Amino acid sequence: METKLDRRQFVKLAGAAGLATATGEWNEAVASAQAAAPGPDASEKDLVMLALDAVRAAGASYADVRISRTNTESIGARERQITNVGKNETYGIGIRALIGGSWGFAATRDLAKDSVAATARKAVAIATGNDRINPVKTALAPVQKVPDGRWITPHEIDPFTIPVEQKAELLFKTNEEALRVKGIRFVTSNISSSRDSRLLGTTEGSLIQQTFLRMAPGVNITALSGDNSDFQTRNASISPRGAGWEYIVSLQMNENVLRWAEEAAAKLTATPVQPGAWDLVLHPSHLWLTIHESIGHPTELDRAMGYEANFAGTTFLAPPEKVLNRFKYGPAFMNVVGNRTEAGGCSTCGWDDEGVASQSWSIVDKGIFVNYQTTREMASWIAKFTKVNQSLGTAYAQDWASIPFQRMPNVSLQPNPQDVSEDEVIAATRRGIFIDGNGSFSIDQQRYNFQFGGQVFWEIKDGKRVRMLRDVAYQARTPNFWNSLALLGGKSTYMLGAAANDGKGQPQQLNAVSHGCPVALFRNVNVINTA
Amino acid sequence: MQNTNVKRHGLSADESRRLCEKILGFARADHTRVNISSGVSGFTRMAINRITTAGETDDVGVRITSVFGKRVAAVDTNRLDDVSLQRTVADAEALARIAPENPEYVPELGSQKYTAVDGYYTSTGELTTESRARAASLGIKAAAEAQYVASGFIDMRAGSEAVASSSGLFGYHSGTGVASTLTIRTPDGLSSGWAGDEGSDWNTIESQRIATEALRKCRDWRGKTSLESGKYEVVLEPAAVGMLMLRMLGVFDARQADEGRSFFSKRGGGNRLGEKLFDEKVTIVSDPAEKNAETSPFTNTGQPVQREVWVEEGVLKSLSYSRFWAMKQGVPAKAGASNFIMSGGDASLEDLIRSVKRGVLVTRFWYIRPLNPRIISFTGLTRDGTFLIQNGKIVRPVTNFRFNQSLTELLANAELLGRPARVSADESSSAGTPVVVPPLKVKEFTFSSVSEAI
Repeated sequence: METKLDRRQFVKLAGAAGLATATGEWNEAVASAQAAAPGPDASEKDLVMLALDAVRAAGASYADVRISRTNTESIGARERQITNVGKNETYGIGIRALIGGSWGFAATRDLAKDSVAATARKAVAIATGNDRINPVKTALAPVQKVPDGRWITPHEIDPFTIPVEQKAELLFKTNEEALRVKGIRFVTSNISSSRDSRLLGTTEGSLIQQTFLRMAPGVNITALSGDNSDFQTRNASISPRGAGWEYIVSLQMNENVLRWAEEAAAKLTATPVQPGAWDLVLHPSHLWLTIHESIGHPTELDRAMGYEANFAGTTFLAPPEKVLNRFKYGPAFMNVVGNRTEAGGCSTCGWDDEGVASQSWSIVDKGIFVNYQTTREMASWIAKFTKVNQSLGTAYAQDWASIPFQRMPNVSLQPNPQDVSEDEVIAATRRGIFIDGNGSFSIDQQRYNFQFGGQVFWEIKDGKRVRMLRDVAYQARTPNFWNSLALLGGKSTYMLGAAANDGKGQPQQLNAVSHGCPVALFRNVNVINTA
Repeated sequence: MQNTNVKRHGLSADESRRLCEKILGFARADHTRVNISSGVSGFTRMAINRITTAGETDDVGVRITSVFGKRVAAVDTNRLDDVSLQRTVADAEALARIAPENPEYVPELGSQKYTAVDGYYTSTGELTTESRARAASLGIKAAAEAQYVASGFIDMRAGSEAVASSSGLFGYHSGTGVASTLTIRTPDGLSSGWAGDEGSDWNTIESQRIATEALRKCRDWRGKTSLESGKYEVVLEPAAVGMLMLRMLGVFDARQADEGRSFFSKRGGGNRLGEKLFDEKVTIVSDPAEKNAETSPFTNTGQPVQREVWVEEGVLKSLSYSRFWAMKQGVPAKAGASNFIMSGGDASLEDLIRSVKRGVLVTRFWYIRPLNPRIISFTGLTRDGTFLIQNGKIVRPVTNFRFNQSLTELLANAELLGRPARVSADESSSAGTPVVVPPLKVKEFTFSSVSEAI
C-alpha cells in the first residue's frame, strides 16, 4: 500500500474520518471493508475444532473457544527526542466450558495440539470442580448460528503500513510546535496502533473471524511558571478510535497543538474559579466521559444483579423491575442508545464474543430508562420486563487469556434533531463555564456521586465566552445532573470520545469503548475549586 | 513454605538463562537486552452466593530490546519457537535502526550483584481450583446463613522473571502473590461490608476471618444515617491507608522534583531532600526482601533494587534517580520503590478508635483519582463500612463520603500509628504491588460531600 500521502489524499482522508454521522457513506464504507475481511487461518480453525471436540468429549454442555493475536505498535516522544519505540504481540487460545451451571476457563500461549487439548480438558475440570463444590443453574439465550462470519474495522489505511520514521516525524513536529509557545517546558506525544485478530468457535456451530483496528494518540503539554512555583498541564482533547491511520491524519496534531500549548500556558494565569452553582456547557471532548461513568456503567445488568459488588460495585438502577420503563433519567428530549455498529466506535464489531450479531438499542428513550446491556447468560433475567429474549450482544474478553463477560458497548447521547450550534448553546447561557477535555474523574460504586474535572475552562457571561478559569471540578448526583440537562446541540456538534482502557471484572479486564454526544447545557451544577 | 524441591510455575533459572542465551545468539545489534516473565495466574470469582467464574492462564512474555548507537527499540512476543524468536529479534533490530536517536540512552549494564530474594511460596504456587472454591465457599456459607449475599475474588499468581544483556548481565527471580477479598451485602442492598487479605504466602490468608469480618461489617453498617461533610479526625483501617499510600509509590522521583513538577520541587530550583515534610512518626521504606511482601531485586533494565529509606521520621531522605538523571546530576543511580512499607507502632485499631473524640472510621476507599500533583491530592470515596466515633467509641454507622485530600497533608497530620500489615491495596483486588502499612489516626481529613452509595 502507498504510504506517502500527497496533499489531495490527505484532504480526502481528513474528510472521510470526519463523517462519523453520515450514515449513508458509513454503510458504504462498512460494505466495502467487509468484502475484504479476511477469513480464518486454516491451522487456527483446526485448533478451534480440536478444542471444541475435546470439551465435548469431556462432557461440557456448551463451550466457546477464542484464538486471538493482538499486535500493537507504539511510539512516544518527549520534547525533541524519542522515548520509546516498540511492538508487542500476544497470541494464544482461551477456552470457556459449561458443566452443569458452572463455568470453567483455561488459556495457554502454547498452541501445540496436545497443549490445546489439555487446556480444553483443564477448562472442563475447573468447571467440574466448581460444580461439585457449589452447584448452580445457568441458562443461555438462543443465538443464531454463524458458520462463516467475517468482519474487519472499516479503515482507509492500515496503520502498520506507515513507517515508524513517519510516525516519529509527526510527533517531533507536534512537540516542536508546542515548544514555540512561551512558558511551555515539557511536551510528550505518542501514537499507539493495534490490530486484534480473533477467531471464535462455539459448540453450537458458529465460526467467526474478526479483525479490530484501533488508533490511540495522545499529547500532553506542561507549562511552568518562571520561579518553579506552579505548573499546569493540558492533555489534548483527542480520543482513541476504531479506525486506521487516516484518523491520525485527520487530527492534524502538529497544527492543532499550537492552540493546546497556548491554553496550557494561559492556565498559569487563569482566574481561580469561584465555587458555587454554575451552568455548565460541556463539550463532547468532555461530556463523553460523564456519559461513560453515569450512564454506561449504571446500565450494565451484571452490576444491577450484584455480579460486580466486590469491585466495580452495583448500580442505583436496581432492582430491574422497579426501574425499567419507570426511572426518569432526564428530560423528554434525552435519548441514549447502546450501539455496537457506531461508525468509528472502539466497541464496534460484527459479532460479540459469544457470536451474537452487533446491534443498536435504546437505553434511555424520551428520558425514561428502558433497557440494560446484556449477554446470553443475562438476557432471561429481565426478558419479562423488556420483552427481549435474546442477548443484546455485549460479551467481550480482553484477549485470549481472559474469560468473556458483560462489557460496555458504545453508549451515545443522541443529538438535538434541530441543528443547534455550539455558539447557540453558549448564547443560551447567562452565567456558566464551558469545559473542554477530561481531567480527574471519580464516581461512587453505585454511580450516584461523581466529581469531574476538565482540561480547559472558560467563563461564559451573558452568552459569550469571556475569560479562562482554572482549578474547576463539578460534583453532582447522577439523576439530578441528567435532569438538569437544558439544551442539546445538533448533529453538527456530535463527536465521539473514547476510553481505550476501561476496567471492570476480577481479574480486571480492559475494554475499548466510544461515546458519541453533542455539546450540552446543564443548569445549576455544584462547582468546586480543586487548588 | 518456601520449598525449593517442588517444580515451580514459570521458567526456572536454567531455562531462563538458556532462552536468554539463545535470543542473544540471534542478535546482531550493538547491544541487546532480554526480559522474560513467565508463569500462571488463577482466579475464582463469586457473586450472589455462587461461584460465577474460575480459570487459569499460563503465559511467557519475552521482550527484546535492540540498540544501535543511541537508537533503541523493543519488541514483545509470547511465541517461543526459534523461527518466531529470530523474527522478533529481526523486528526489534529493524525498528531500532530506523528509530530516531534517544539522547538519554545509557549503555546496557554488565553483570550485577543483587540482593538474594526468594519470594516463591509453594502454598500459593500449588493452590488448586478446589482449594480456592473451598475458601470461597466459607464466604458464601457465612453470608447464606445470615441470609445475606456474598461476592468475592481470589487471585493467585506464580512465576518468574529474568533479565539478561549482551554485556553479561543476568538476573533471575521467582515469586508468588495471592489476594482474597470478600464483600457481603444485605439482600435489600442497604448495607455492605468488606474484608480482605493479600500476601506472597497463601498460608497467611485467613479465609474464615475474612468471612467473619465482612459479615460483621455488613451487620454493623445497617441502619446508617447521614453525617454532614467537612473536616474530621479519621481512623483509617490498614486497607484504607494502603489504597492511598499505593499512590505515593512513584512520587519519590528526583527528576520530576528537579524539573519543577513535583511536591518535592524546591522553589527556585532543585529538590527538598533533607527537609522535614511529614510528622516525625512517619517512616517509609521499600525492601525487595521484606517477608511476605517480596519483589524482584532488579528493574527491567537490570538496575539493582535495594532496601531504601525514603522518609525517616518525617524527613525526606531519598529520591530515585534513573541512570540517565543520575549521570546528569553526578550522583549514583537509584531504582524506585518496588514495594511500600510504612512503619507503625504498637497501638491496636481499638486503641486508635479510643483516642478519637469525634471522628470517622473508614474501612476502605474507592475510585481514587489524582487532583493536584503539586500537593499530591486525590479524590475518592469511602466504602463498605463507615462509622462515627464519639468519645473513643463507635456510636453509629454513617453514609459514605467523597474525600478531596492531599496525601502530603495526611502524612503531616498523622497522630497515631498502629501495627503494620500487608493489605489488599489494589482497587481491583488483584495480587499486586506489596503494600505494608499501619492503621492511622489522622486529624483534619477532608470529606467534601456525602455519597448515598452502598
